[in-house]
Amino acid sequence: MATHHANAVLPDEPEKATLEGKNKILGFWLFLGGETVLFGSLFATFIALRDQVNGGPTSQQLFDMPLVAAATLILLTSSMTSVMATLALHKKNLKMIQVWLTITVLLGIGFLALEIYEFVHYVHEGHKISTSAFGSAFYTLVGFHGGHVAFGILWIILLQLSAVKKGLTVVTAPKFYLASLYWHFIDVVWVFIFTVVYLMGMIGGKVG
Amino acid sequence: MGAHAHNEEVRKPKVKHDSPKRHVVAFIGSLVLTALAFIAVAYEVIPAGFTVPFIVILAFVQAFFQLFVWMHMDQKGHEYARISIFAGLFFILAAIIVFIFWVWV
Repeated sequence: MATHHANAVLPDEPEKATLEGKNKILGFWLFLGGETVLFGSLFATFIALRDQVNGGPTSQQLFDMPLVAAATLILLTSSMTSVMATLALHKKNLKMIQVWLTITVLLGIGFLALEIYEFVHYVHEGHKISTSAFGSAFYTLVGFHGGHVAFGILWIILLQLSAVKKGLTVVTAPKFYLASLYWHFIDVVWVFIFTVVYLMGMIGGKVG
Repeated sequence: MGAHAHNEEVRKPKVKHDSPKRHVVAFIGSLVLTALAFIAVAYEVIPAGFTVPFIVILAFVQAFFQLFVWMHMDQKGHEYARISIFAGLFFILAAIIVFIFWVWV
């Protein structure tokens, strides 16, 4: 272990300073490749089934643009604040890392709250996971994304707590870097969700 | 903490590449692309048949913006990152095409 080394001088880009850190980043990108396929298959399912409403409400009747726009803005901003945390990491400034990650977590919680409100509202409108193929595909895809957001929030909070005790070292730096990568990935997935699920779902009615 | 002022001079160029400005530009770019997509759908400013391809292209542009700038996929040492993301995208496109044309419902 190279931990004692960290107490002296932290190297530049501390997340890549050790072989272990480099391997973690490499492994994480392979994981993200797998996540891409996971979400891709859910997207493909959704695109194939989105018109099969089985007498339930259609996407044109359900979706509300201001709500989606607000959720998008919140998540995009949180992606921005997590990149600020990575920049603070490169400046080896633990305090600023904690500040930016706290903002990221708060925005993430705001996003989740909106999504929960949205789902509850849909269920009241008669749009449930068992209503139709559209319902199943919708809740699986969007819910899986929401699950990733919830997991990311927990992960970042735990990292922040452990960093209070352990400080910024070559061991903790890769963890911050990866959490930030994960959070960006969640935002990239959301870009396709708001485009394919929500915006395309709102167009459908006007065209057809 | 404490001893971080030391080697900032020694290897500065490596970190300099990662200036906050680039990331703020990426953020503003993402905001503009997002706004364009929402406006295109809300106000029907472009021909209806063209709206879907238009917003999908916007989504891809924004996704690559974020992957390359925010997730540093443009930097050296990210060859495997590119391979895994592009391999993933390849499978996705195959899956989407197959699902659209071959699912009987």
